[in-house]
Amino acid sequence: MAKASSKKKAEEKKPEYIHVTFNRPRQYSWSTGRYLGHFYAEAKENKRIVGNRCPKCKDIWLPPTPVCPKCKVDMGWDWAELPQTGEVYQYTYLVMPLWDPHYGEKWANPYPSAIILLDNGVFYRHRLEETDKDKLRAGIRVQAVWKEDYEERGHGMADILYFKTIDEQEAKRCLQ
Amino acid sequence: MPNRVAIVGIGQTYHKSKRPDVSQPEMVAEAVRAALADAQLSIQDVEAVFSANMETFEAIYLPDHGMAAEVGAFGKPGFKVNTGGTTGGSVVAEGFYMVASGLFDIAMVIGFEKQDCGDTTAAITAAVTPIWGKGAATGAIGEFAKQALSYIETSGATEEHAAMIRLKADRNACRNPYAHLKLGLKSVDEILQSAYLVWPLRILDFCPQSCGACALIFASEQRAKKITKKPVWIADVEVVHQEPFRAGVFGDPTGKETYTQHVACERLYKRNGISNPRKDIDMAEIYEPSNWEEMNLYEHFHFCEKGEGWKLIEKGITEIEGEFPVNCSGGVIATNPIGATPVIRVAEAALQIRGDAGEHQAPKDIKTAIATALGGPNWTVLVLLKRSL
Amino acid sequence: MSTVTEKLEGMDVWLYHGQIYIPNTYSAGAVGSKFLIELRDRKRIVGTRCPTCNRVYVPARSICKDCYSQLDEWVEVSNKGTLLTYTVCNQQNAIQPVEAPIVYGIIQLDGADTGFVHLLGEVDPEQLKVGMRVQAVFKKEREASILDIKYFKPLV
Repeated sequence: MAKASSKKKAEEKKPEYIHVTFNRPRQYSWSTGRYLGHFYAEAKENKRIVGNRCPKCKDIWLPPTPVCPKCKVDMGWDWAELPQTGEVYQYTYLVMPLWDPHYGEKWANPYPSAIILLDNGVFYRHRLEETDKDKLRAGIRVQAVWKEDYEERGHGMADILYFKTIDEQEAKRCLQ
Repeated sequence: MPNRVAIVGIGQTYHKSKRPDVSQPEMVAEAVRAALADAQLSIQDVEAVFSANMETFEAIYLPDHGMAAEVGAFGKPGFKVNTGGTTGGSVVAEGFYMVASGLFDIAMVIGFEKQDCGDTTAAITAAVTPIWGKGAATGAIGEFAKQALSYIETSGATEEHAAMIRLKADRNACRNPYAHLKLGLKSVDEILQSAYLVWPLRILDFCPQSCGACALIFASEQRAKKITKKPVWIADVEVVHQEPFRAGVFGDPTGKETYTQHVACERLYKRNGISNPRKDIDMAEIYEPSNWEEMNLYEHFHFCEKGEGWKLIEKGITEIEGEFPVNCSGGVIATNPIGATPVIRVAEAALQIRGDAGEHQAPKDIKTAIATALGGPNWTVLVLLKRSL
Repeated sequence: MSTVTEKLEGMDVWLYHGQIYIPNTYSAGAVGSKFLIELRDRKRIVGTRCPTCNRVYVPARSICKDCYSQLDEWVEVSNKGTLLTYTVCNQQNAIQPVEAPIVYGIIQLDGADTGFVHLLGEVDPEQLKVGMRVQAVFKKEREASILDIKYFKPLV
């Protein structure tokens, strides 16, 4: 007993510091504007990935943009459909789940994310289906997998579930 | 011609994961008092105060709105900047522009972050546009993990090289009284055994979340010479913007070949007649969120040829006793109070030039140093410091 | 929580309804903590006095805004004071601690040189007057929060 109370006294001597916690989601409504809006519409209606082409340098921008970041000119309304296959350029996956502020929860674990070089040379960021790190490497061929249900699409980039690894030989055989 | 600008006062707090004993404004005041003491000035001598902090990284928006008294800004001109990772670099550029323009003779810049208040990775993830970044954003760490993987695959560097960089940082941090992580790491193996955080980055491969602040006092040439016998001149500053959301969080899809670093170096080196940075500059304090990024940055800043960053650490060139010391302070991987981090780079480089770095002073004579910042929309900020102009 | 995207009628523009949710913890620091603990444990309102300009700050602060002195002299001020100004808020928002109509006041406590922002209660908004005398009402269950003072009520 005596021991316990002396311990309590020692604890009392330690300064007490007050903290205020603030846990409240902050809501927002974010407009796509008409350029991103066109990207959203093409994804929902036609399962297409589209970018827009600069009238001057002819580069294709994804995300689409009203002004070419390089030439600083008005982009006009020239759209290009992008291929849905490409290769993994860089990738990583989360080993320790981190907090996702958009969902207010921790990410799925493991969470492979990648920069994908689409077949026309444009970069795109997305998730990968493959969660086994030993099967991941730069250079593997991948293809977009869409949400099949029309009603579930309408979320732009998230209309693609993930990119799945494809076997090139197998793909060619299917085409024949 | 802009007016000449010198750093006449340097102050920083010690850095820790948690500082429950102070509120955010009180923590910042510690750095301000230290800088005033260093310059032997009173707060009344400071004409304008500019601060730098990452909004939402702590519990509140507009953190500067509750601390005018504590930072000595009450009734004075000045404002806060927020440009992501470069926030502290931007405030140094801001202070430099203000004094160089002749508008102010004495200005103070302050960087601060109290990261025990919030969740940094979540805040960075919340900084990406929800339309493009959501689902693909993994905070800063996912980006540097991807960059590290590219570096492994293209340069020939191994995990041992990254571990050698980490070991150098820890050895230097242990000599720096203000550093946060002082782990006393003994061997490369110790680092290679630490757990993966985001593959291929291990816990020891990435910077910590620190609480701390750093303040610098800038003065015009005339005033500087009266204030101190050892002014450190800001020879030049370069800031290059990029668009962070193009093709994703950090914009540059290749990660390795960063456009802004290329452009910033080209401009700064050309203006200052620097043809061989490793010979023309004596040391560097660089913003390296991870040890892998440090090797990558050696190449970007032309401290070596492309693909040879890892050879600099292998040969010991960037060690404190080496031919070209990098991050004698222990760097960002040891101490990272985000808004203050780039200000600390400038502060530490200036201390090296003054010869006042104490235990972590490089043995060679440092006359010229470069400090860098990285991240956010102003992806690259470079600050060139000299003992004499 | 899931997020919703909505297409605007007749336009290629979409609205993305989302949230940012980052848990935060803000530290009061040693000086702020002492102020809050005094409310909780002793129902006392304390401030700090500037040794140079003699001004008493309530809530307590650690640095004087004018002379930059370190403030470490603690003083207890009265729980009674004078209403300097007020407003009535009829708009309910999730962040507010009580239901609308909410009466906010800035009160100069006797012995303090600064205004103290808090709620007013037990008062008909019609009867509010600048210069009226008010007194702090403490909650029974206190947790070292500024809301350990439930509100200020008119002094009759």
